[in-house]
Amino acid sequence: MSKDKEILDSIADKEYEHGFVTNVEQEFIPKGLNEDIIRLISAKKEEPEWMLEFRLKAFRRWQQMELPRWAHLDIPEIDFQDIIYYAAPKKAEDRPKEIDPELEKTFDKLGIPLHERAALAGVAVDAVFDSVSVTTTFRSALAEKGIIFCSFSEAVKEHPELVQKYLASVVPVGDNFYAALNSAVFSDGSFVYIPKGVRCPMELSSYFRINAAGTGQFERTLIVADEGSYVSYMEGCTAPMRDENQLHAAVVEIIVEKDAEVKYSTVQNWYPGDKEGRGGIYNFVTKRGICKGAGSHLSWTQVETGSAITWKYPSTILKGDNSSSEFYSVAVTNNYQQADTGTKMIHIGKNTRSRIVSKGISAGRSQNSYRGLVKMLPGADNARNFSQCDSLLIGDKCGAHTFPYIENANKTAVVEHEATTSKISEDQLFYCNQRGIGPEEAVGLIVNGYAREVLSKLPMEFAVEAQKLLQVSLEGSVG
Amino acid sequence: MEEIIRNKEYRLYILGDVMLSPQSSSMTIPQHIVVERDACVDMVLLVLPGVNCDLKLDVRLAGEGAEANIYGAYVCGGEEKVNISVDMHHDFPHCNSRQLFKGIAGGTSRVDFYGKIIVAQDAQRTEAYQENHNILLSDGAKVDTKPQLEIYADDVKCSHGATIGRLNEEEQFYMRSRGITLEDAKVLQMISFIAPVLEQLSEADREAVACKIEDSIREIVKREMSQI
Repeated sequence: MSKDKEILDSIADKEYEHGFVTNVEQEFIPKGLNEDIIRLISAKKEEPEWMLEFRLKAFRRWQQMELPRWAHLDIPEIDFQDIIYYAAPKKAEDRPKEIDPELEKTFDKLGIPLHERAALAGVAVDAVFDSVSVTTTFRSALAEKGIIFCSFSEAVKEHPELVQKYLASVVPVGDNFYAALNSAVFSDGSFVYIPKGVRCPMELSSYFRINAAGTGQFERTLIVADEGSYVSYMEGCTAPMRDENQLHAAVVEIIVEKDAEVKYSTVQNWYPGDKEGRGGIYNFVTKRGICKGAGSHLSWTQVETGSAITWKYPSTILKGDNSSSEFYSVAVTNNYQQADTGTKMIHIGKNTRSRIVSKGISAGRSQNSYRGLVKMLPGADNARNFSQCDSLLIGDKCGAHTFPYIENANKTAVVEHEATTSKISEDQLFYCNQRGIGPEEAVGLIVNGYAREVLSKLPMEFAVEAQKLLQVSLEGSVG
Repeated sequence: MEEIIRNKEYRLYILGDVMLSPQSSSMTIPQHIVVERDACVDMVLLVLPGVNCDLKLDVRLAGEGAEANIYGAYVCGGEEKVNISVDMHHDFPHCNSRQLFKGIAGGTSRVDFYGKIIVAQDAQRTEAYQENHNILLSDGAKVDTKPQLEIYADDVKCSHGATIGRLNEEEQFYMRSRGITLEDAKVLQMISFIAPVLEQLSEADREAVACKIEDSIREIVKREMSQI
């Protein structure tokens, strides 16, 4: 308890603890987006011809697409020509393996272990700073088991056959506006391949940080779990405090083969903007996995506390018979934040199962929506879904919304959905107060209890961070 | 068409059988219903087999203490297209609403349900509940449901629940092991499924309407069974 108090006190006067800027020499390309820029990005990354073709194809599709407007979000007009699509820390050409000390300090501040001392934490990290992957730890240890864990650009060069086979197989280039944009300009990201029957011995993790002003971040993650393998992957993100809005449009694709299991966890803590709603990251992300083989399993866990606007629906296509998927989410919005997030579970195979647990918390003047689709196709015999979406309101100026879409075309499939919206009960607060727990602390306590079902699904390293985050995000929302 | 409710009112609408419709029911369903301060409306909506319908209901609780209870049931066994949409607006504090829609879809019928509860920022102390439950009888039938909550006030209790499922086979086994035929067992299951809606009918209406629903359910079960 006293330790919790310490944490609370130490952050009480800080708004956003990761809001610093790192001064490393950056290399930019000109603002704007056209075919020349895409060729330039591709050339900078020394990509093969097929990759450039892929980008150009995506760009041409994107030009014909319209912005999606169906979300319950108020998105200011975004000028896509006013964004720098590629920024990288400059590296000395002759020592590419060395990390800039400034950069190292940055990741140190963020608590990201980049050196082998990470062995203690048992986490292998791929850190992405603006547009490039800076370093990937533990690569050789993983390689012994045949596991590939590297930056996306390296994968394109070293494992082109794998990348070509799986890239855009789950999220096609024309899937949606932001996925198409990402396909055209994506700069880096992580690539994971777990060979047949291998159980990844440690948690894999990537950390994304936007640093340079006026840039967008467009990363791409591709995870392939071959037959009978297992991997747990974690993703974290932060950005400096700025008055302008910055765009983050990522694509994550996950392929789960027969009897394999993937656990994907996210703690999203992009800069949410200040108290008046100035600045912050626009987080428009497409995440989708496919349970391709029989008996495969994909689990999504997300804690969303940052970003000015979040538009994100991690989805699973349950194609293999007996495959299963879970989605656990806590989304917190405060001040002027907006979130429209949820999931899609598309049941194709027989005996497929899915479970959705979503906890939304809105405070201040924020708007928090859950939007989810559960679809049972005619072939999904005996498929089963259960969804539970709860919303908690703190303050009378915020909004909480639930928009589920449930479609069933199979008589043996069963779908259940329930949702509730309420505020923190006065009784619970009173109980805490009369035992000497202050109002703010009491809210933190109740919120953590409310979100426990989801937080308990996070890997240990993340669970602690997420709990602290919940408390920070709600700072100042009571009274 | 707009209807304004000023007192405590009861409404029954049956789509599909003119003869059965009692005096208290009118065939045209109002699209907009405004419930004034301290008034209350109890409404039962029944859609019988063979009816295609596209119902759009917009209910506004337009004064403190207003209350709306809407119950609906639909039974589809053929090629029906049933489309029901309800918007429930809570604009004032201390209003209550409850919605319960239950339906059975067989044959190649297609059911779309859309229900939205909108609670305005000033509508504190709102209690709003909505449920939509469906049973799928055949492979050709399809049910889509979109229950929605849009809430801008914090001192509220709101929930919605939606299910799409099938008849419980263990219950059927229990009944058959006691000498009830499969056909009768299915009819009993479906009647008990719809019953919570029928219970909301006034004493005067209940008997006749329940009989009619039972007949139509029996017909559907017969048809489904003969196809196996």
